Amino acid sequence: MSSNISGNAYALTILSPIKDGFTQDEIAYADIVRDRLQGWNAEHNSPMALVPQTYLCRYFVLDDVYLESLPGGSAIDTLVDWLPFVPDTLRRWAWPKEDHLKSRYLVFSCNFHGGPKADLDGYLRGMWNAIGDRIKEIWGYCHGFDQVDNADKFIDYMKKCQLTATLFFVGSNDDPLEEQLKALYLKQEFAKFAIDNQGLDAATVKTNFQAFVDRVRPSELDGPTWKAGAYRVDELVELKKNKG
Amino acid sequence: MSNIAGKAYAMNVITPIRPYTTWVNKFIFWIAVKIPGTLKGLITLSLIHYARWVIIGKDQFPHLDPKQPKEELNYTYMMFFSNFNGSWDQYVDSFTFAIPGGLDLFWKWNIRYSKSVPLTPFHDYIRYNQIETIHYYNAYPLAASNDVKSAKTVKSSLIKFEQDTRNVSGDNFLKLYNALLRGLQHDMGDMYPTPIVSMSAHQVERRQKWHAANLPEGGAGPTGGTAPKEAHGHSAKKGK
Repeated sequence: MSSNISGNAYALTILSPIKDGFTQDEIAYADIVRDRLQGWNAEHNSPMALVPQTYLCRYFVLDDVYLESLPGGSAIDTLVDWLPFVPDTLRRWAWPKEDHLKSRYLVFSCNFHGGPKADLDGYLRGMWNAIGDRIKEIWGYCHGFDQVDNADKFIDYMKKCQLTATLFFVGSNDDPLEEQLKALYLKQEFAKFAIDNQGLDAATVKTNFQAFVDRVRPSELDGPTWKAGAYRVDELVELKKNKG
Repeated sequence: MSNIAGKAYAMNVITPIRPYTTWVNKFIFWIAVKIPGTLKGLITLSLIHYARWVIIGKDQFPHLDPKQPKEELNYTYMMFFSNFNGSWDQYVDSFTFAIPGGLDLFWKWNIRYSKSVPLTPFHDYIRYNQIETIHYYNAYPLAASNDVKSAKTVKSSLIKFEQDTRNVSGDNFLKLYNALLRGLQHDMGDMYPTPIVSMSAHQVERRQKWHAANLPEGGAGPTGGTAPKEAHGHSAKKGK
């Protein structure tokens, strides 16, 4: 599983097969899943904001696999598509075949801080503890999820659905989320400080800087910081971190 | 549909590979993992938060229940997930312009892959094989990948400066402070929402405005009861 890990960041890829069935109202289970996820978009913030250490994540439903039908750039494609002297049987043989999935899949792709031990179990346990009910809401129509009613079973289930990344690239950094949020808060606040203190005399800048440090508490993650997932400037700062 | 969360865009692309050439792709990725220097080109694309490639063998789609039909596929599939800043065009084009060769290697012999140059067939290829995200979450919607990286520099510099200048007074302090600002000039900057921060934020905003305009104070909440009651008064709040 090492290619799921880059530094302290972890790439979790989950494909959970959705049952092929319909509700009494004749709505496909996959469409219910889609609709519920769509509903998450209309909430004040994503339920995933409550899941510790989540950097970025996404959900979608994989209905089928796709095949671009125009001629491509590979040697075989070019030859068989364009050379008229290639026998028809060979041309047909080389044409891409049409694939279709027999199940639809709920895809969950997540980047999180796993720490030096790449703690997938800890992340999934945190996810279950934070939003267990919301997880059931989404995964409830998936094959094999019926028995999942606690964190341990959820971890086992997710591992059965997990795919290994072939390459995971971290273009950002892999610090714990609290560190990243605190750093962003400091960057924002210090930029304001620098603007507000332009051209002031040395003694005033020093006094103001001390007051600034007392307010923002740069080394204290439990001090003022950014809220995870906040998308409005007036909701951005969390003065005291929520515990648990 | 929500491919956008704040400043990040979620791209999902699925493409088929002939099973008997899959080893070529796996080998290329293996080299990239073993020799990180080969990813130098990707690192120059500083707009990327995180990206990954996942190759799924034709018999490797998760099968969890005897009642679930087994997949019978002709091809192996490669899934590409990326989190980046900026628009779709900016991203796809920056790949083409910065690392066309690397891109062609990663998608080597994917069926009907058009190659990254010229642009138009490449755009068509990605567009055709792209799957829309339904729900996308970003822990810092106001920050770009470069903000996250530069914030780390600001934080460590600030902590060090504070420790180093505790007993420094007067003009010396100002000198060191100015040096700090000069050193951080590429890392400073205010962060604000982009005009539409996320599709979900946009929807919430629209609904709140509608409720504020159409419903009496204390009236019925929105369907599903998920929006907070203080929605009406949020604009009056003024945060730091």
